[in-house]
Amino acid sequence: MADILGRVVATERRPNTPHQFHFWTALDAPVGIGTIVRVEGTDPVAGQLPQVYGVVVEGFSYSDLESPLHDVLGADGVPERAGRAATRRTEIRLYTANVLRHIPDDPLQPVALGAVYLAADADVAIALRMDAYLKEGSRTAIPVGLYRAGATASPIHLDADFLLGPEAAHLNISGVSGLATKTSAVEWLLASIFAHFPAKKGSVAALCFNVKGPDLCFLDQPATRLDAADLELYARLGVPAEPFANVRYYAPYTARGYTLNTLRSHEALAHNVQPLTWGLREVLEYAEVLLNKDDVDAKADALIDFIRERVVDQDFRDDLLGEVRRVQSFTDLERWFSDLLKAMEARDRESWRTHHVATIRKVRNRLTNISTRCAGLVTDDGTVSDLPWGKFEDRGVYVIDVAKQEEDAQDLIFARVITQLRERLEKRTLGVDHVVVFVDELNKYAPSDGPDTYVRKMLLDVSERGRYLGLVLFAAQQFRSQVHRRVVGNAGTALFGRMDSDELATPGYATLPPATRTKLSTLDKGELMVRHPHFTQPVFVRFPRPAVLSGREGVERFPQASEPTLDEAIVRALRQLDRTVTLEWVKETIALSEEDEVLRARNRTQQARPEDVKAFFRAQLKRRVAPEVMAPRPRPAIRTGPADDPYAF
Amino acid sequence: MVSVLGVDATAPSLESLDPAGGTPVSVAPGSPLESGRLEMRVVAAALKPGFAAFLDGIQRSVVIGQLGSLVPVVHGTVGAVVRVRRERVLSTWGDGALVARALYLPFARLDTAMRAACEAGGVPLVDTGEEGDPAHPHGRLASARLAIQRAREEAELTLAVAWCAEGAGPLYVDGSISGFGEAALSPLAVGVVKSHRTLYVPAPDVPLVAGLEVGSRTTAFAVDARRRARIASWYLRVRSGDGADPFSGLVRVEIAESAFSTERADEISGWILAEREPVALPDPRWRVMAYGIRDCEEYLRAVAG
Repeated sequence: MADILGRVVATERRPNTPHQFHFWTALDAPVGIGTIVRVEGTDPVAGQLPQVYGVVVEGFSYSDLESPLHDVLGADGVPERAGRAATRRTEIRLYTANVLRHIPDDPLQPVALGAVYLAADADVAIALRMDAYLKEGSRTAIPVGLYRAGATASPIHLDADFLLGPEAAHLNISGVSGLATKTSAVEWLLASIFAHFPAKKGSVAALCFNVKGPDLCFLDQPATRLDAADLELYARLGVPAEPFANVRYYAPYTARGYTLNTLRSHEALAHNVQPLTWGLREVLEYAEVLLNKDDVDAKADALIDFIRERVVDQDFRDDLLGEVRRVQSFTDLERWFSDLLKAMEARDRESWRTHHVATIRKVRNRLTNISTRCAGLVTDDGTVSDLPWGKFEDRGVYVIDVAKQEEDAQDLIFARVITQLRERLEKRTLGVDHVVVFVDELNKYAPSDGPDTYVRKMLLDVSERGRYLGLVLFAAQQFRSQVHRRVVGNAGTALFGRMDSDELATPGYATLPPATRTKLSTLDKGELMVRHPHFTQPVFVRFPRPAVLSGREGVERFPQASEPTLDEAIVRALRQLDRTVTLEWVKETIALSEEDEVLRARNRTQQARPEDVKAFFRAQLKRRVAPEVMAPRPRPAIRTGPADDPYAF
Repeated sequence: MVSVLGVDATAPSLESLDPAGGTPVSVAPGSPLESGRLEMRVVAAALKPGFAAFLDGIQRSVVIGQLGSLVPVVHGTVGAVVRVRRERVLSTWGDGALVARALYLPFARLDTAMRAACEAGGVPLVDTGEEGDPAHPHGRLASARLAIQRAREEAELTLAVAWCAEGAGPLYVDGSISGFGEAALSPLAVGVVKSHRTLYVPAPDVPLVAGLEVGSRTTAFAVDARRRARIASWYLRVRSGDGADPFSGLVRVEIAESAFSTERADEISGWILAEREPVALPDPRWRVMAYGIRDCEEYLRAVAG
């Protein structure tokens, strides 16, 4: 029989209710804010002795003194004397707990007086209603961390049906940068999901947007700082302490186009880093992401729609343009616009198919500008290197590095990738049944104020409807109050690391007791407060360090590659396909070619992944006849005339 | 010489203070034990805790009805407890507090049916008319209070005897020990009396008693009261007075006469002075009350109601 921890107490001034009760303990009881306890009632309710589970939310300590001045008087104002007094004053430890669960739960009555016990593993499972989804045969439990109190260390599980849908979905994590370990928590939780996601629910993959720093750049590399305590946590929670086995990185090129614009550029890690480049076809559908609504009026909008539906990727015929045109890239589009405007000018026409020439010029400017604004991501020649749509793999992690991208490019990437995910999940053509999308800095992409952007609308749509499709948003931010209410409100699960005190003072945290808010402002790294639909009150847990290399260590072990020359860039790219490619070979091959042409050839080679890499690459370059160096023809000697020739030189 | 102080409107009146508790006061000199005449001595011992436990009792009497219109029915609750101190922490000794509740009334005023009805309530009845039933209702109340007081003293005596029989260490008893039978003869029991309705010094020595300095005691004397044990006693100034009552901050200590010596008196006085901390506030008797005694009363209030 477990030791009694304390006793429920109630007075007229401080009564117990069905939702809250008070209890006192011995001075050395292992109780604190967040401790889960069990009350054993003594009088049957509905034929059953009641049990009430609660979580401590406040603690009080006081003695039999009426005024602090009395203690001062007793010690004659000398603090040391109070410590030497013959007798210790009577002192109480009084705790307030919020009810987690009543058994039986009907009729719902105030908590009766009774003995209080520290919750053991089985109690924690019942208290948090985890027993419903921990049953063998219908288990949907995903461990999120370990709850600790005294000698008790119980795993806390989330319900996959409420974390990844369909009952509820999405997760939001808040905390101060650098201390709350938001990224570590998400990395850990993804590992837990991959280890425990029930087979009957299908497959699951993760797609992460790396929006700042190198934190997500080394998910396939093992951590170096896991200690015994971490390993024990992993073992206790049933998650392998290993990096992710199947990770792929995607990043656009730099504006110059030589290398990928990512912090993961070390040669040793290049094997699973691929370019992310899109052409006209991929981008035009999301033009409104980049076009200012004030700038693009209804007329321009109509022309863009026309181009999208009737011109791009179609055999377009028009009397003004003459021959049939097929526009498939930004280069083609620019040429189309140019020819159209020239033709209109030649015929002195002010409008074409109801579109005024000024509108046409404006749209030309805005659309052809996209490849400049998103240089490195959007290609003029239509070369596409994209995510493996339709071939997402179970337990695969796909990281898109947008940390070094301009805001326009970031927005475009978000818009297209999320929309594609949603559409393919709707049609069940993605390759997996569920995708967890991790977005950091959510206050930047779905702010609570400011203009209504495409990205924000899209995130709202995902948060409100995504759970039915298997599209799950894991989002992180420093200040939850600065994120759109409907986005955070639709997150079924919320995690809180160490919080900023000013943030805790905002109305969104008013439902938390003061002691809980204080604890939130002082949480250690590796500790979280968890809110989940099954938990009637939030719970504090500890989670292990992620089993992947941290960003800071990663950039030390795998420093970013230096900016290469064109030759070096081509070598790096082609050696991933054929290790026999040498710098000398590349120099010789591209000696006469223009830079644009060389980059195009590289891109096409990377896309095609041919058997004979060198031959394919060479074939992409224009044939040039190398000038022959002719040996100087022997010049005949100048004959001198006869000595007596009056006309000789 | 008379010095007249300004009238403080906030100072408590004598009527409200009633330092003698409404009963007659007297001076009844004891027999000197240490010297021919009463003298003041500075306590020549270290001020260190020496008591192993504290004994105190409470009583509460409430008029719950009337027999006819002139015979009050009093419900009395008494309790007594020994709180033992181990490593500065107090806990209840033995099987806990002795608590008793009863109805106090003159049986002579009860007919058979009324007595049966009272007994049917399950609360014991105590006859307050054994030594005569006063005709005045207030006299009947006084008889009831006296009976309740005796019940309390009985409970305290029971515990004191049990403690002394076990020999577990010096026992600080709140009040006189002279009526404690065997316990009054034990070297373990030390009575500390806080009120001074009777002064056990010659009338000329009253100023000496009133003028004792903090940390000083009078020389000891024997007190031999009717039907009570003969004990050794002395006055000890624990704290300075409150200015209104010359005996404020003053206690009278009792021990078994057989256990008395000058050294023992100083030793016990040092123990009592060491009990000044922690202070027993907010109890109004804090100047002369040890914290351990306050703890006893708090405990009894909690368990006896």
